[in-house]
Amino acid sequence: MLPTITVNDEKCKEPLSCRKCLLICPTHVLGLGTDVGPQKFREIDPSHFIVRAVRFDKCSGCMDCVKVCPQNAIQVSFSGGDAR
Amino acid sequence: MCDWCEKYGDGYERWYFNPANYARRLYKIRKEEAEALGAEANPQAAGGMSVVGHDFLEARERGDMAEVERVKQQIESAMWLAHCGQVITLEEALKIVDIMYPISLITCTCRRSMEGLPDEENFTCMGMGAGMYKWERWPDTYRGGVHFLTPDEAKEVLAKLNKRGLVHSIYTFGTPYLAGLCNCDYPDCAAIRTVIDLGIKILWKGHYVAKIDPELCNGCASCVHRCQFRALSFVPSRNKAYIDQFQCFGCGLCATECDQEAITLVERASLPALANVW
Repeated sequence: MLPTITVNDEKCKEPLSCRKCLLICPTHVLGLGTDVGPQKFREIDPSHFIVRAVRFDKCSGCMDCVKVCPQNAIQVSFSGGDAR
Repeated sequence: MCDWCEKYGDGYERWYFNPANYARRLYKIRKEEAEALGAEANPQAAGGMSVVGHDFLEARERGDMAEVERVKQQIESAMWLAHCGQVITLEEALKIVDIMYPISLITCTCRRSMEGLPDEENFTCMGMGAGMYKWERWPDTYRGGVHFLTPDEAKEVLAKLNKRGLVHSIYTFGTPYLAGLCNCDYPDCAAIRTVIDLGIKILWKGHYVAKIDPELCNGCASCVHRCQFRALSFVPSRNKAYIDQFQCFGCGLCATECDQEAITLVERASLPALANVW
């Protein structure tokens, strides 16, 4: 079963330095991207990094990412309803 | 025969030993690449190095194999034109750093994406060829900076990364222009996980297949953790390691770890059933 995984970017400010959810996920479901894409001649500011689910098919629904997030920014649900 | 060698080998034993593939069409390609893949191709904008969308995973889950196959072929044909790789052995990697210039040590963009790995811990990737001279155009791709290496320094780094258990592979940026020598592991390498988990061949198997000599294997199992491709397991009843040769990518990591020299690399082309399993 594929989950719906949402991350509130307003709450998740600097995932590149926090990365708690990336490291705790037993199946490495989550990844980092940016909300601006590659910038020529410029390094992207860490505030533009965002967390997104990449490997949806590997999510077991353990909710470790939800629990570890200090900003309470991650939601994981199965079959449309909240799993917890 | 390997498609890439056939198309781009030009008489060399392997297409990646053909120096022309490290130099040609350098400035034309980026435009073609964008055209081939479209704006959605930017993995960072798409969010986290995802090669496939949610739709593909949904089709896969509901068992719509026709749709899975359609999307798979669509991705493969685009990626083979723009950015795809092939597994190579340490020996081949060492040979490559002698035929191309410059070579630079850079941070791995896959591990930055999947682990948020700090730059200082993340220098495991190599950028090659004249394209590296314009790295400052894309500071974010090369976050943490670029260390240009002499061939001897590059060999030292490759040997260390091999010892750590990372798979060497060579990547095109606008095929057949080769510009990346990656040192990767499952599942944070986007190419390895995409081919292993989803069967989308953006990373091709290498020119070798590993083989165990049961007489020499002493059952120590030190090779087992070296396989990133789920090809290697251990058979307790025989007290021997086992290699699924149809799953083997021919990286040779298991062989370099074996004290007994029980694992050898066989030419893929010499095995009729595997000669076309890439």
